[in-house]
Amino acid sequence: MNSTENLVKRLPNDIGGLPADRIQQIDHELLPWEKRCHALADVLDFHKIINTEEKRRGVEQLGGEMVGKLTYYERWIVAFAFILFQKAILTPDELAQKMKEVESRYSRSTL
Amino acid sequence: METHDHDHPDVHQKSAAEPAPRYYEIMETAVRELLVEKKLVGPGEISRQIEVLDSRTPALGAKVVARAWVDPEFRARLLANGRTACESEFGISFYDDTKLIVLENTDKIHNLIVCTLCSCYPRPVLGLPPDWYKAKPYRARAVREPRAVLAEFGTDIPEDVEIRVSDSTAMVRYLVLPQRPVGTENFTEEQLAEIVTRDAMIGVVRVNLENRSTP
Repeated sequence: MNSTENLVKRLPNDIGGLPADRIQQIDHELLPWEKRCHALADVLDFHKIINTEEKRRGVEQLGGEMVGKLTYYERWIVAFAFILFQKAILTPDELAQKMKEVESRYSRSTL
Repeated sequence: METHDHDHPDVHQKSAAEPAPRYYEIMETAVRELLVEKKLVGPGEISRQIEVLDSRTPALGAKVVARAWVDPEFRARLLANGRTACESEFGISFYDDTKLIVLENTDKIHNLIVCTLCSCYPRPVLGLPPDWYKAKPYRARAVREPRAVLAEFGTDIPEDVEIRVSDSTAMVRYLVLPQRPVGTENFTEEQLAEIVTRDAMIGVVRVNLENRSTP
């Protein structure tokens, strides 16, 4: 099997049955923003804006590199942004503007 | 304080000691605020859902398990329809609108739950999953070599006991009903609930009396 064929047959989330390392029984208390991100996921589901399966697929569509390098909730929030763009609920410009605004709010408050 | 804090006093609390937010946290705040501005999400909804998330812990699942151990009729209802039994008899709301299948461990069958594709988990009854449940080693290996995985949790399942691994989905979630340990015949329902751990309801360990929480 050539390497590109394998990419098609195994999307980034499809790891069931693959060889992997020993299990490290790790856990962490969610950071406040991570918990807000989780609550946001639930609320988006309640309002039928993004359901669980769309979220899972959205994460998968980030591609192997992002799935591998971003943390769990980093993947979620980026996937939400992309899905909201696809659904024309948000535009990339709008989000970029708002992020700039949020960031400046913080940098002002720490002066 | 800026106007932002008036809009979401309950979601966002700042303090001088708090480090500047990173890129992804800024993105989270921006997405949330845009959705509220567009009135797609109510201003207090996120904080209300955080309260719901905080109210769900493995202690809830442990109560369900203990009831099933002492009440055979409840156990039958729980095995027939996990969600309905939890909703109607414990008032546990299934806020994520998932089906719950309860898998009973016996002398012949040991159940283990996993979500190979992501991190689906019986959140209404157990709260949020631990990080190892969401990480590659567990997701990849649980379905292929469950005995080796169980051994890493210190759980040795005899060869004549069948191990069944159930792979969760967005709509269908599982909860393991562990075996009641020998030596608990005189325990009250509350005492039984104290020895049931999260990991036992995932199926990676058995319930044993050493798990009993000390007061």
